[in-house]
Order: sequence, then C-alpha cells, then structure tokens
Amino acid sequence: MSAKGGPEVGAPILDVTDLGVTFGTDTGDVAAVRGVSLAVRPGETLALVGESGSGKSTVALAAMGLLPGNARASGSATIAGTEVVGASDGTLAGLRGRTVSMVFQEPATALDPLTRIGSQVAEVIRNHRRVSAADARREAVELLRRVGIPDPERRASAYPFQLSGGQRQRVVIAMAIANEPALLIADEPTTALDVTVQAEILDLLRRLAAESGTGVLLVTHNMGVVADFADRVAVMLRGEIVETGDVEKVLLRPGHEYTRRLLGAVPRLVVDEPDPAHPNGSAAVGTEPVVDLRGVSVVFGRGRRAVRALDDVSIAVHPGETVGLVGESGSGKSTAARVALGLVAPSAGTVSLFGTDLRRARSRARRALRAGIGVVLQDPVASLDARMSVAQCVAEPLLIHRRGLSARERRDRVADALERVRLPRALADRAPRELSGGQRQRVSLARALVLEPRLLVADEPTSALDVSVQKTVLDVITDLQGELGFACLFVSHDLAVVQQFAQRVVVLRNGRIEEQGSTGSTLRRPETDYTRRLLAAVPVPDPVLQRQRRADRLAASAGPSA
Amino acid sequence: MSTLMYLARRVLQAVLVILIVTVVVFCLLHALPGGPARGILGAQATAQQIAQFNHEQGLDKPLPAQYLYYLRTLASGDLGTSYTLNEPVSTLIVQRLPKTLVLTVLSAIVGLLLAIPLGMWQAVRRNKPFDYAITTLSFVAYATPVYFLGLLLVLLFSQVLPWFPAQAPQGDTLGQVLSDPAGLVLPVIAGAASMVAVFSRYMRAATLENLSEDYVRTARAGGTRRRAILWRHVFRNSLTPVTAMLGYYVPVLFGGALVVEQLFNYPGMGLLFWSAAQSSDYPVLLGCVLVISVATVVGTLLADILQRVIDPRVAGGRS
Repeated sequence: MSAKGGPEVGAPILDVTDLGVTFGTDTGDVAAVRGVSLAVRPGETLALVGESGSGKSTVALAAMGLLPGNARASGSATIAGTEVVGASDGTLAGLRGRTVSMVFQEPATALDPLTRIGSQVAEVIRNHRRVSAADARREAVELLRRVGIPDPERRASAYPFQLSGGQRQRVVIAMAIANEPALLIADEPTTALDVTVQAEILDLLRRLAAESGTGVLLVTHNMGVVADFADRVAVMLRGEIVETGDVEKVLLRPGHEYTRRLLGAVPRLVVDEPDPAHPNGSAAVGTEPVVDLRGVSVVFGRGRRAVRALDDVSIAVHPGETVGLVGESGSGKSTAARVALGLVAPSAGTVSLFGTDLRRARSRARRALRAGIGVVLQDPVASLDARMSVAQCVAEPLLIHRRGLSARERRDRVADALERVRLPRALADRAPRELSGGQRQRVSLARALVLEPRLLVADEPTSALDVSVQKTVLDVITDLQGELGFACLFVSHDLAVVQQFAQRVVVLRNGRIEEQGSTGSTLRRPETDYTRRLLAAVPVPDPVLQRQRRADRLAASAGPSA
Repeated sequence: MSTLMYLARRVLQAVLVILIVTVVVFCLLHALPGGPARGILGAQATAQQIAQFNHEQGLDKPLPAQYLYYLRTLASGDLGTSYTLNEPVSTLIVQRLPKTLVLTVLSAIVGLLLAIPLGMWQAVRRNKPFDYAITTLSFVAYATPVYFLGLLLVLLFSQVLPWFPAQAPQGDTLGQVLSDPAGLVLPVIAGAASMVAVFSRYMRAATLENLSEDYVRTARAGGTRRRAILWRHVFRNSLTPVTAMLGYYVPVLFGGALVVEQLFNYPGMGLLFWSAAQSSDYPVLLGCVLVISVATVVGTLLADILQRVIDPRVAGGRS
C-alpha cells in the first residue's frame, strides 16, 4: 500500500487527439467538447477537472464509446491502439470491461436492482473469458473480497438494495477490475458518498491501480480528490482543456487564470491550531434562542422496523448566529432541520420557536410562527414550481402570510428581495428552468427572505452547485445576515464550508449529538474520535499537505488495530 | 416481514374489499326506481301484488337487516335463486364461471405473449417505422369497440374467409367447450386485441425507461452486448410495472368477456350477466358482480405476489 511511483514512460494506454463531441438538440447543435487532446500512460492517474457543463464527463464517455444517441464524436481516441471514435458495437464490446473499464458517479443506480451482485460481477468475467458459470462465480467472490466486501461468499447473493452506497460502489469497482483492465475511467466515483467512505474508496482505487499498473482517468470536480489521487491534471473550461500539468504545479502554481479562480473558490479546511481571531459563537448567548430543540427524539415507523432518526438532541440557535449541522448521511441532520421547521413532530422532547412551544401553539398561531422562518433546500430545480415565474415564486409567501398587502406593495417587496440576492430585475418574469443553478438557488433565497424571517433554515443549499457558484451564494447569505440579522441553521456535509460559514457547529452521528461547540475549536481541535476521523477524511486541495494527511490517517487507522 | 405474515395481511385486506363491494352493490340495487318487484312483476302489477312479493322476498324489512340476511346466506354458499331461470344462482355461476375463466385466461395469455415482445421491440426500435406502425395499430385496436372488432372478425374470418366458425363452441361442460378449439379462436382474438394494445404500450414505456437507466450503461461498460442486456436485465426490470397493471386489468377483461360472449353466443358468465340485466334478474346480477369483484381482488393479490417473486425489493422493504 505504498505511495504510487511517478508516471512511467511508455506508450499511452489512452490517447485522445483533437476530440470533439457535438450534441444534436431541438434548438440546434451544441459543441460540448472541442479539440481535446490528452494521454494516460500505464500506472499513471490523470485527473480531468472542471465545473458542470465543462465537458469532462463527455470526454470520459467518448473514450468508452458510451456517448448517448444524439452525440457525434470527431477526432480520435485510442485505447491500447484501438480506435474508439466510430468503432463498431462489436469492437467496443470487446474493449469494454476487458481493456478499459468505468466506475460511475451514482452507485445507487449503477447496478441492476433485480440481479444478485455476484452474478453482475460474473457477467463481466464471462463477457470476455471462456470460463464456466461456477468458476466465474468463484472468481466474482474473490473480486468482492478484493474490493473489501465483508463475508463475500454470502454477500455475493445479495441484491444491490441490501448494500450501503459505499459497498455498492465497491461492487461497481469489482466489475470494473474483473478482467484486469489496462485503463480505468472513474467519473466522479466518490461524489455521492460520505467523506469517510470517499477516503476508503479512493484508498481502494489507488491500491488496485498500483497493484496492476492500471492507468486511471479520473473525472472530478473535487480538488481535494485530485490532490489525493492524481499524478497529472487537465483543467477543462467550456469544452476545452485550458491547462495541463503535474498535480503539484497545477494545484499550487496554476498557470491559467481560470484555474486560479477555480482554486480560489474552493473552501479550504483549516487544519492547524485554533484561530483566536475567529468569532467564538458566544456572542449571541444570553439572548433568547430563536429556535430551541430540547431533548428531541424522532422515531420513524413502528415495532421492530422503527428507526430512531434523532435521539435526545438539543440544539439552540440564537439571533444573528449561524449554526452548522454536520454529519454523514443518515446521521439525522436533515431530520433535525425539519423538526426545527415544525414539519416533523418529535416523538419526545420540546421544540420552541421564537419562544413559543410548537406543540402548544394552535394551528393559526403555528402558521404565524412559520412565517418567521425562511427555507432553502438542496435541489434548486425541484424546490421551485416549474409553472410559476420567478416573481410569482418569490411572491407566494407574501400571498399566504401577508394578505393585507396591495398588489403594488407586493411587487415592490418582490423587487426588493430580488435585488437583495443580486438577481437582475429582468429575470423576474422568467421561468425557473431558464435560470442557471446558482441563479435558481438565489431565487429560493429571495423567496425565503421576502418575509424578513428571523430564522433561515438552509439544508445543503450549495451541494448541487459548482464551487464558484457556491461561493457567491454563500457570500450573499453572509451579507444579508449582517444586514437583516436573522439566525441561520445550516445543514451541510461539507466540513470546509461549515468551518468558513458557521460560528457554531453541531456534529451528529446516528441521530445523536457527538459534540458541539464553536467552529473555531470543534472543527480544529475536535474532542471525539468521530469528528477527528471525519476531519481527517476530508481531502484538502494541496497535494503536498494531502499526502501527509493521508499518511497520518492510514497510520491512525492501522495503529489501534495492529 | 415474513411471506406468511404478508399473505395473511393481504388476504384479510382482500376480504374487507369484497365486503365493501357487497355493501356498494346492495345499496345500488335498492336505489333502483321501483325496486326488484317492479322489474319481476312487470309494469301492470298491482300495489298488493308488489307488497306480497316484497314480503315474500324479505324486501319489506329494514335495509341493514336485509343486508345482514344476504351476507348470512352468502356465507353458506347460497346466492339466492334466479327470478327468471328458477335455478340457484350458485349453480348457474358454477356452470358458467369455468368457461369464462377459460376465455379470459386464454385471451390474457395470448395478449401478453404478443404484447410483451412487441412492446420491447418497439422500445428498441423507437421512432423507427416499425414503432410507428405498431403504435398506430395499438391506438386503432384500443379505440375499436370490442363488439365492432368481433363483428369485423366474424365477417372476415368466418364469412369472407371461412376459416373459423362464427359461433363459439356450445355445451354445458368445460370439456364440450374445449373439444372445439377452432370455435375459440375468434372470441380469444377479440378478447386479446385490447390487451395487446394496452400492454404493448406499458411494456414499451417500461422498457424505454429502463433502457435509459444507469445500470444499462454499467452493463455496457462491462462489455455486455445489447441483446444480452435487453434480455438479462431490461426485460425483468420492465416486467415489474406491467405485472402491477395486470391485477387492475382483471375487471376490464371480464367486462370484455361480457361483450365477447354475447357476440359469439359463448355460454359463460358474460352471457348470463347480459340476459340477467335485460330481465332485471337481480340475484343473478348481484352474484355476478360479487364473482367479478372477487376475481379482481384475487387478480391483484396474485399480481402482488408475482411482483414479490420478480422483485426482491418488494419483499425486502425499504431500499
């Protein structure tokens, strides 16, 4: 499990020359990729980075010959000397799974839900080698063992839905390495996973690549993953490569202006000693909390299938402060946010909103209380009504909670709210789908703030956004908070974002509070092993520092068990 | 949840649904103008005759009492006596139900055997001439009333081309009906046509949806060939929604049988229901509706169980 050696000199296993991809759409052709040239040599990892829409995934799919039907590829992409662009189905089927394999972003949907995982791995083996069904099955079990599936003999007959996301990704990887491919293409392989699982999957991929000298094309938007894994980096912007180089050069001494801007927007986890200048979160204590969860438990379901989503959780958010809620998926952070919103009734404990016990409040009073909360959710596409204009979306809360307003007053308030989130007035009559992701999220924000709430609940508000867009949205929230003084409950899985954005942080694990405190101390000198592990798993976008962090993390996890 | 528990719960639900159906049918029956007496005794019947009839049949008692009495006799297998045929309804149904089952089950099997490959084939050849042709045919078949289609079939394949008899096989027993398979061809085709139209659409939609799923891309990335992906992965995944629809389609099949049996003079439940409706033979109508509702509930139950067999997630609970 040693660090991988430098790039070997030799014929590239993947050689892309002047690749172009054009999508035929209803409104005409769109050039998604233009003049892309890159090469991956055996044993080397090339990271292809860029923001959404930059064409990085399209390059990966083109190299596999997996482009959708409305795409046309030009130029050349050869894998081990075989041309992929324009190749026949038979040629491609011969390459795929044997010479080149792919690991996809979404392990939840990447596997056939009705086929046992062992059979899915065995299928890839039997696609390319003449082995008996029984032998293929035995080999599949060995592969599952190799990728770290516990008890592989038994798990081989499990269905995908019986596995966790990380385990499913391990199965996808087992399928990818089944025939020892010379090239592995990984398209955002860890984006859908928790940081701790991400670290494990990256370790696994690194080990497998090192063991068999496989070349890796890693497509990702996460600079931390790049720093952790890649030997070389190619940066894409609007379908073209703007910069290529060694990972240390590109991440530490970027040459292109866009790369600098991209790296500047990445929130960096500060891992050194506590910073005394950082606000300590005690400023607001003493005032009455805006929202106060006391000993809250939430149980979903009944009987043996009951799931305890929250267990004796107490969180208070004071006026003007931002409290970050962090934890892995399933830790209960979104449930806690929903309890604060009054959308989920606690099975035990009390919730006070603006000093009023939610359970005691009558429905009318409860509605009035809710008018004091603004909400921003993760998915800016799904959380806005597609049939309303931007102005209508923002005006809706006024129609419900401020019935006395005249149409003119309402228009003014909407214009005001749009201005506050820095959206041009011209967008007011557009439909949400015509806006970019960042603009849509600012519409959600305007809608949340139009009633001038005393509390903003933001559930992963920037997870679906590119880093540069994330930065502008977070900046807008921070500015408005200074101006309007609302409290903010900020749910996020991204520890770096929380560290920058929140004054206090609550770390949740399996529905319980693991620890809480000011971000300055809790996220720098954590008191529990869990938080320490969580922090250690976050890859930082500095290859030198990240190499050290990886070594420390592996030593720490190997230490106690050895 | 164990399979046994699941079965017990679903059967209990099924019984409840059937009970509710009996209440609804019972109420509808009594909401008819004039009630059953007028229907049986004719328009000229005197008020005294009607009162006499109502008393004899227990129709002058309060409705809940009548309903309870009805349920009690039902439990003992007694569905009452036909007003017009002077035979116990249960006997009539026992005679005819198997024949209708043969007709509907045959139609369903033939329909599905055609619809499933057609729908898959259409999905694979999406927006090509074959797809358009089948889509057009499906819409025409779906829009054509069953009686019209039946007449057309008789005209073409019995009169113009004397291939099959226009009349369904007659006879009291199942054996007599089955001894003349040529006579079953046209009724089965008439019954299967709309099934092919509807289910080829479902199968096409389900297959298209599955073809765009990520797991298809994963299989392709592993070097699995298109044909193998289609049959090994997409086929099974597409069957799940189609199976669910199958359960809900049982009453439609019975409804179709009503027309088909009348058209081809096939001695099944449909023909019985038809003549009972014309003569206001309420005990027979009520018995038929009950049998059809039981068949529907059993159909959905079977579809649910079939789904559990196909899709492990249904049995495994949350994913």
